[in-house]
Amino acid sequence: MTQAEIKLCSLLLQEHFGEIVEKIGVHLIRTGSQPLRVIAHDTGTSLDQVKKALCVLIQHNLVIYQVHKRGVVEYEAQCSRVLRMLRYPRYIYTAKTLYSDTGELIVEELLLNGKMTMSAVVKKVADRLTETMEDGKTMDYAEVSNTFVRLADTHFVQRCPWVPATENSDPGPLPLAPILVISEKDMYLVPKLSLIGKGKRRRSSDEDAAGEPKAKRPKHNRDNKEPIPDDGIYWQANLDRFHQHFRDQAIVSAVANRMDQTSSEIVRTMLRMSEITTPSTAPFTQPLSSNEIFRSLPVGYNISKQVLDQYLTLLADDPLEFVGKSGDSGGGMYVINLHKALGSLATATLESVVQERFGSRCARIFRLVLQKKHLEQKQVEDFAMIPAKEAKDMLYKMLSGNFISLQEIPKTPDHAPSRTFYLYTVNILSAARMLLHRCYKSIANLIERRQFETKENKRLLEKSQRVEAIIASMQATGAEDAQLQEIEEMITVPERQQLETLKRNVNKLDASEIQVDETIFLLESYIESTMKRQ
Amino acid sequence: MAEVKVKVQPPDADPVEVENRIIELCHQFPHGITDQVIQNEMPHIEAQQRAVAINRLLSMGQLDLLRSNTGLLYRIKDSQNAGPVSFFLSKMKGSDNQEKLVYQIIEDAGNKGIWSRDIRYKSNLPLTEINKILKNLESKKLIKAVKSVAASKKKVYMLYNLQPDRSVTGGAWYSDQDFESEFVEVLNQQCFKFLQTKAETARESKQNPMIQRNSSFASSHEVWKYICELGISKVELSMEDIETILNTLIYDGKVEMTIIAAKEGTVGSVDGHMKLYRAVNPIIPPTGLVRAPCGLCPVFDDCHEGGEISPSNCIYMTEWLEF
Repeated sequence: MTQAEIKLCSLLLQEHFGEIVEKIGVHLIRTGSQPLRVIAHDTGTSLDQVKKALCVLIQHNLVIYQVHKRGVVEYEAQCSRVLRMLRYPRYIYTAKTLYSDTGELIVEELLLNGKMTMSAVVKKVADRLTETMEDGKTMDYAEVSNTFVRLADTHFVQRCPWVPATENSDPGPLPLAPILVISEKDMYLVPKLSLIGKGKRRRSSDEDAAGEPKAKRPKHNRDNKEPIPDDGIYWQANLDRFHQHFRDQAIVSAVANRMDQTSSEIVRTMLRMSEITTPSTAPFTQPLSSNEIFRSLPVGYNISKQVLDQYLTLLADDPLEFVGKSGDSGGGMYVINLHKALGSLATATLESVVQERFGSRCARIFRLVLQKKHLEQKQVEDFAMIPAKEAKDMLYKMLSGNFISLQEIPKTPDHAPSRTFYLYTVNILSAARMLLHRCYKSIANLIERRQFETKENKRLLEKSQRVEAIIASMQATGAEDAQLQEIEEMITVPERQQLETLKRNVNKLDASEIQVDETIFLLESYIESTMKRQ
Repeated sequence: MAEVKVKVQPPDADPVEVENRIIELCHQFPHGITDQVIQNEMPHIEAQQRAVAINRLLSMGQLDLLRSNTGLLYRIKDSQNAGPVSFFLSKMKGSDNQEKLVYQIIEDAGNKGIWSRDIRYKSNLPLTEINKILKNLESKKLIKAVKSVAASKKKVYMLYNLQPDRSVTGGAWYSDQDFESEFVEVLNQQCFKFLQTKAETARESKQNPMIQRNSSFASSHEVWKYICELGISKVELSMEDIETILNTLIYDGKVEMTIIAAKEGTVGSVDGHMKLYRAVNPIIPPTGLVRAPCGLCPVFDDCHEGGEISPSNCIYMTEWLEF
């Protein structure tokens, strides 16, 4: 794990879970897998606290455990999973677009709590939805369950692995660490529950505020007196499926930018048809025949079969090479070239960074070297039509930024510089890795700046919170408007402005984190897809 | 009776006559004559006189001396060569053979010109001599030096009345050894605008997609005609020039190219294929990283918490937040 990644993980863990969890988590990321006692000893925290911290981390799938030989259980942190916490807002937003508010809240609950039973999720979501509805209306459990089942059917939520029921009557010695298994077909099987009930409206005196630490063990619902029918069946959000969805979105929008709306709709249909059938890491989707595509087009699009065929031919011939033709049966078999698409997107990201950072002439040189693979200094000047001095300057700038590298081809065995060819080339994989590292550091910088801004104005924030609390309590006990006015004026106008600025800045920094995360997603998908092929 | 000494005057002993005879013989045998042939023709002339005559003809440049397997051949010089050579000779009557040699080498180089070091290699003359000779020739206005565009310090020499080749002057993009970047930029923008409008009209037409796409393409010949008609270029531009400009647009990511097979004889086809160009949009908007100040920061590597440059006191961030 690089320094930048460790720094980012530490910031995320601290923000979401607090100091102690952060200390343990970062220690595990740095040192790899360790047994319990060693963690306690090295970090200097008490055994009790270490246990609690590990519970939190395991609940959220950030730490896994394994029994090693000699009977020692070792815990290992998953750095990449910690970095996914940046993407939570994007997952929740996707669920909202696909399944509206109910879906959004379900996914939010699952992400915030790590693992939950279905009944717990349904109850909580119904309660929350009822809060926002008008007086007198409540949310029915059935509706929430339906959305949950739909989420499970499209694989957005999945079951967590569980301890298999032992066959023999004699339990025997308990294993040191439970071995969790799950079979492929059980992963999305929704238990038959009859959840009847309605959401409860929260009374203002009741319930916990959002500040309480997330449930470490939702195994027992303190409110529920009856036995939970699906005890032991826990659900978690299936992050891979969300990633697949993001990737599809990126491909569709790229096609829309390059061609037109109709072509992008066709590509979207093709991707939707291969959602379940193609594993997410495959380089190509399954071949789809033109007839199938025609049948699966969304209802609103009434284009004739010939027009569809023309569009498919155009897509297959396009230099982008996102769609390929793999055969002629069934009116033409078409596949989507996923690996190529990810490569093009990653290359476009690199080009965009070069353009914004160094200028459009540098971007021209960069694209030139990308296309021609290896070029000499003189050839670069000739092809790009840029004067020699400027071209040299730009090439060196990009070289020191590690976007371009030099390949030496010696003419003589003694590698004398005057008798060697120096060719410029772009290695996309290493440039992508370099950019990814820069993204991690950038996000860490943004988070730090956000925390700094908040800390600077801490006094002001506390004051405004106090004033709000006073106003709320006075409203509850029925105070006059004049008194309320007085209290409100405790915050002066410049202070109010300062608060406004602070809110705006924090929002901007937050939004920027999410935008940088989009770049991270593209680069990581490309790197993963390339490594799988090797 | 007194002895009368009769000196037999060999007839035709006049040197000019001898030369003329030799020249006639050479005309008779355009492939060249050997010494033996001359001897047979004029048996009365002594070897020495023969040699004198031949030497004179050689130095006047009317005969060429060649070596064959059998021996030496004398050949009449071509009348074509005789023209400028006689003009040259009239100027160089007094010059030595070294200058002639250097001039020959420069002449052979044609319109690409030749570098002084190459002249040295070919003639095996020392550098000082070469320089003297070159200066001499230049002052007599027989050769000229042309600055090469590839290496600005290098000078190539070529005959005075020849036009330098494109590779030396750089062609249409160079005027007086200076790369005309503004001219290239203007052409760049014009070509792009032309292709863009073509794509726009194709998109507006809303016909079936095949026709739409095909009409958004423009062949390199069309673009060339458009640019010629615009008349923004003082220099005559060829289709290859336009293609290099269109290539730079491809490297800008604004244009894509396809090659289609075309019948020989259709306008603009070269060797049976045609290049078609089309304006395109980029496939992703500017990526997320460059929207944050860190993506473009020049001192990114020096930035860390607690240092001189840190996220907390970053001036770029402060500016960006104030937007």
